[in-house]
Amino acid sequence: MYQFKPVTERIAKLRQQVRDRVIRITAERSEIVTKSCQENENVVPIIKRPLYFKALCEQMTLLIQDNELIIGNKGPDMFASPAFPEWGSTDWVVKQIEAGRWNYKDGEYRNPKEDGIDYIISEKDFRSMQSVMDYWKDRKVGTMADAWKPDCYDELERLNVSSYVKNGPSLVNFPAGHLIAGYEKIINTGYKALRDQAQSWITEHEGNLMGEDVEKYMFYKSVTIVCDGAITLVKRYAALCAEQAAQCTDPARKKELEQMADSLEWISENPVRNFWEAVQGTALYQVMLAIMNRTPALAIGRFDQYTWPFLKKDLDEGRLTMEQAQEIVDAFFLKLNCFYNAGAPEIVKTTGIGNTYQNVTVGGVNKKTGEDATNPVTFMVFETIGRLKLHDPTIVFRTNKDTPDELWECALCTSKQIGGIPLYYNDDVVIESMINEVGYELEDARDYGCIGCQEIVGSGNDYPAPNGIHPPHASIWWGSVLDMAINDGKNPYNNEQSSLHTGFLYDMKSIEEVRDAIYKMGDHVMRLFITINNYSEMYAQFYAPEALLSMSIEGCMEKGKDVVKGGAKYNSYGGTATGLATLADSIATIKYMCFDHDYCTTRELYDAVMANWEGYEPLRQRILAEVPHFGNNDPYVDEEMNWVVNMYYDICSKLYSTRAKRYKAGLYGASDHVNQGKVTWGTPDGRKHPDPIADAASPGQSRDKIGPTGVFASSCCYDQSKYLGGIALNLRMHPSVLSNDEGLGKLRDITKDYFRHGGMEVQYNVVDTETLKDAQRDPDAHRDLVVRIAGFSAYFIELAEDLQNDIISRNENVI
Amino acid sequence: MNAEKELTGKIFDIQGFSLQDGPGIRTTIFFKGCPLRCPWCHSPESQAFKSQLSFLAAKCVGTESCADACVKACPENAVEYGELKDGVKPGEKKQLIHVNREKCTECWKCADACYPKALSKCGTDYTLDEVVKIALRDKMFYEDTGGVTLSGGEVLSQPEFALELLKRLKEEGINTAVDTTGFVKWEVIESILPYTDLFLYDLKNMNSELHKAVIGVPCELILENAKKIAAAGGKLQIRIPFIPMFNDSEENLRLTGQFVKELGDAVTMIQLLPYHNLGSVKYTRIMDNPKIFEATPPSDKKVQWAKEILESYGIKVGIH
Repeated sequence: MYQFKPVTERIAKLRQQVRDRVIRITAERSEIVTKSCQENENVVPIIKRPLYFKALCEQMTLLIQDNELIIGNKGPDMFASPAFPEWGSTDWVVKQIEAGRWNYKDGEYRNPKEDGIDYIISEKDFRSMQSVMDYWKDRKVGTMADAWKPDCYDELERLNVSSYVKNGPSLVNFPAGHLIAGYEKIINTGYKALRDQAQSWITEHEGNLMGEDVEKYMFYKSVTIVCDGAITLVKRYAALCAEQAAQCTDPARKKELEQMADSLEWISENPVRNFWEAVQGTALYQVMLAIMNRTPALAIGRFDQYTWPFLKKDLDEGRLTMEQAQEIVDAFFLKLNCFYNAGAPEIVKTTGIGNTYQNVTVGGVNKKTGEDATNPVTFMVFETIGRLKLHDPTIVFRTNKDTPDELWECALCTSKQIGGIPLYYNDDVVIESMINEVGYELEDARDYGCIGCQEIVGSGNDYPAPNGIHPPHASIWWGSVLDMAINDGKNPYNNEQSSLHTGFLYDMKSIEEVRDAIYKMGDHVMRLFITINNYSEMYAQFYAPEALLSMSIEGCMEKGKDVVKGGAKYNSYGGTATGLATLADSIATIKYMCFDHDYCTTRELYDAVMANWEGYEPLRQRILAEVPHFGNNDPYVDEEMNWVVNMYYDICSKLYSTRAKRYKAGLYGASDHVNQGKVTWGTPDGRKHPDPIADAASPGQSRDKIGPTGVFASSCCYDQSKYLGGIALNLRMHPSVLSNDEGLGKLRDITKDYFRHGGMEVQYNVVDTETLKDAQRDPDAHRDLVVRIAGFSAYFIELAEDLQNDIISRNENVI
Repeated sequence: MNAEKELTGKIFDIQGFSLQDGPGIRTTIFFKGCPLRCPWCHSPESQAFKSQLSFLAAKCVGTESCADACVKACPENAVEYGELKDGVKPGEKKQLIHVNREKCTECWKCADACYPKALSKCGTDYTLDEVVKIALRDKMFYEDTGGVTLSGGEVLSQPEFALELLKRLKEEGINTAVDTTGFVKWEVIESILPYTDLFLYDLKNMNSELHKAVIGVPCELILENAKKIAAAGGKLQIRIPFIPMFNDSEENLRLTGQFVKELGDAVTMIQLLPYHNLGSVKYTRIMDNPKIFEATPPSDKKVQWAKEILESYGIKVGIH
């Protein structure tokens, strides 16, 4: 069995800081950005935004702490969560404090304990953020998108079947995010070369801009400004290192700081030269992207692949030992844990408390040769996660037929330590899917990585927007679609009628009629939904360009085009449908109870659903016990699942925008199944409102009865390669499964079998029910217990109670 | 042919994803009925040869939810109201039931009526086709090493069904294992040998008197059969339930190790199964006031000690 090694003292100290972290909301960014925007009030957004980025690079407070080996900070605190007044995404802090929800003590406000994560803000910073609210009220990025909307928005909002709801988030609340930036390009090119490339085009065309050249001119100008900012910021870090070195009395640390200063000065303009510079360069570009925008799910990509050439050189030339390299990897992952953005409690409950969504992808194949690309850094990443017990960032483990057994063992031992990490991916299915669904070239398909929950994207060449153009607008609520389809287009949750009439279940004469109604309803709601996505995309192309990101994404510098306008080599968007098993089970129920057997009439079943099963308990019990459910390798219902996911795919395949020709289907969904359950009326499968719908691509909670082989076999009932958005299959394993080498080997084999039969992804929670219940009773004794929901891993005790119960209700697979 | 009664086996459970009943990923078919009475038995429902009514309180949704389905179904008034159990929501109570076993005639009407299968008939007569169909369900996961294990109860107490089932599985190209106490006529074992890739073979105690006193039968036949299997070219995975105060002495471990060593290449490994008391809760499902064997599970250290003794005879030993 793989043994994790002990950590060094300095790493242990940093680890403790991360576990005890209190996220400090800071106003410094808000002050710098507001001032810059006031000075440039009427400058066009494509220039105005780079200007405030440059101001941030020049003015923000920089920090270097005692034990730090990898540096970078987002504000005047190691755990600073800066304010983003121009997006309005931190306004909730001001509003909650004004409403008296936070506790005041000694000049600082703290959020209530029940939020599950600790935030703090000084009174001074609160006042500062409060004072600019008025200025930003009508000047936010999304202000105009919200002020006028297409007429159909009214119907969508009324129906309450998506994140476009009354008093919901802005249409343009965040940038699209959810991608892998071009870290590899940044560290191998350097900011000076990028700036020179932009400037040379400008010099050549200055005063002679015809046709589309004017757009290119604006883009290249924006790039020169952000490059100036980037160079300034890195040079400031170099200067700070030198300053600390001068004052340092410990000779070892002094030498280290001097080296860091030298390296930072070099990489402020040039390509990196060694492993430390590669890792530090990656971290600093991440810091820049994080202070530019509150970019959701900005993933690190194939870290082991783009850093290994540098480590190999260092090892060959005797500059670094494996132990030193491991410490650098440890420091890097701890640094990523410092980049948490404080989120509003109601959103955090869905997206995961304490998750930074900076997924790291390891393993996989060489993009040129297609051969297995495991290298020592691959192992180092698992070593870091396992020995530091980090549940964040999410690790994505790409497997293929040649993945070494030692790496499997290392990964499975990590799963045993950290619930749900890594996610296991199947290269064979994914690479083919990338080529077929979005038309990636073979080499780019082989270079895929994963972001956010499960979404599959290209590495530094892709603007994939897999969570819609502006998160959280990524999914419609399929349980409600189902209810509307059997209720003539009216949502029984709130009695709102859609413009589409589908008839009532009790008038439907066959299961084909039922399916037809669901297809039509789904198509109608998805088209409404994507219409608004497409509207906000058009809007953001002018109001929210992304020079800092674009310059690292393949295609943009070549074309002189920003990512938001389609500059990337690959362009698509997508969304997700969580809990489609609830639909499959529901259709199977109608078929089994009403059409195949005469156990009840469609009228009775309709009445029972509309009554949310009140007064129909015996019927409900019979359905739960007797009707075949997805997850049990039973073709009766697996065929319905196949129909449902194909319907969803079919609907998605007809949607497109000006930038993206492809809308990708996905079967995942953070923990949204719990929230969706709260707004989805009872469903024909016997699920009551407000119980959760099924989770991601998994069977309904406790409905899989024959163990993981049944879940795996059922999950192969449809062609998974069509769902490039990603698929999340959660399985809970009893710890005894992994108690010895033999069990470990068997779990590896069954995962491989699943993949051989077309499985795309799986994630394991290795924990028994009793432990989870104990943790509910005695949270303090289980502070480090980590579990996975659908899209993220989190400390169990920090989850909302309904999420905790959802995990407990998932079947535990024992021997 | 039509007049002939189709061959059936009495099976009380079929489990997919069995990881400890032989190599690889397996489906295990549990035969009902056993001639032995091991006091520590963790599947008490495997002992009786006839079907039994089982009540699993954890699955009962309460009679309010099923409109008294089982109570109404029972023609003998044997299903009575039992204890009140806390529901999921605070203050919510569930009315459970209790089976009056004196009145029960085992007509299974209550089990048929129970939606969540809290009441169930433990021990169902399966035809060969039915069992084979379920066994093939997981074929995609068996690969080269995994397959199907016949377990119990004592598989070979239903020799005809076991033999025909093994033949059918071999026809399907499936790896087969038989978990047996070995307390059966040699002719029966001989008949299944050609169709059995591996025997999971219990050696509980080398002292026949103690064996008989505690389990009810002596051990000579068991040891004799093991030798014959080895001599006939069969493969054996030896299983030792490691029970405090019964077979955990150094002397017994050494005698066992020596015996296994003499079986030679036929033995693939020894599986040491430390006693646990997880099975005790299962007794109340099929009977009132059961007599439950109580012992402290052996410490990890003690199990490791036993493992090392057995290993000293040059045999691979696994702990489960």
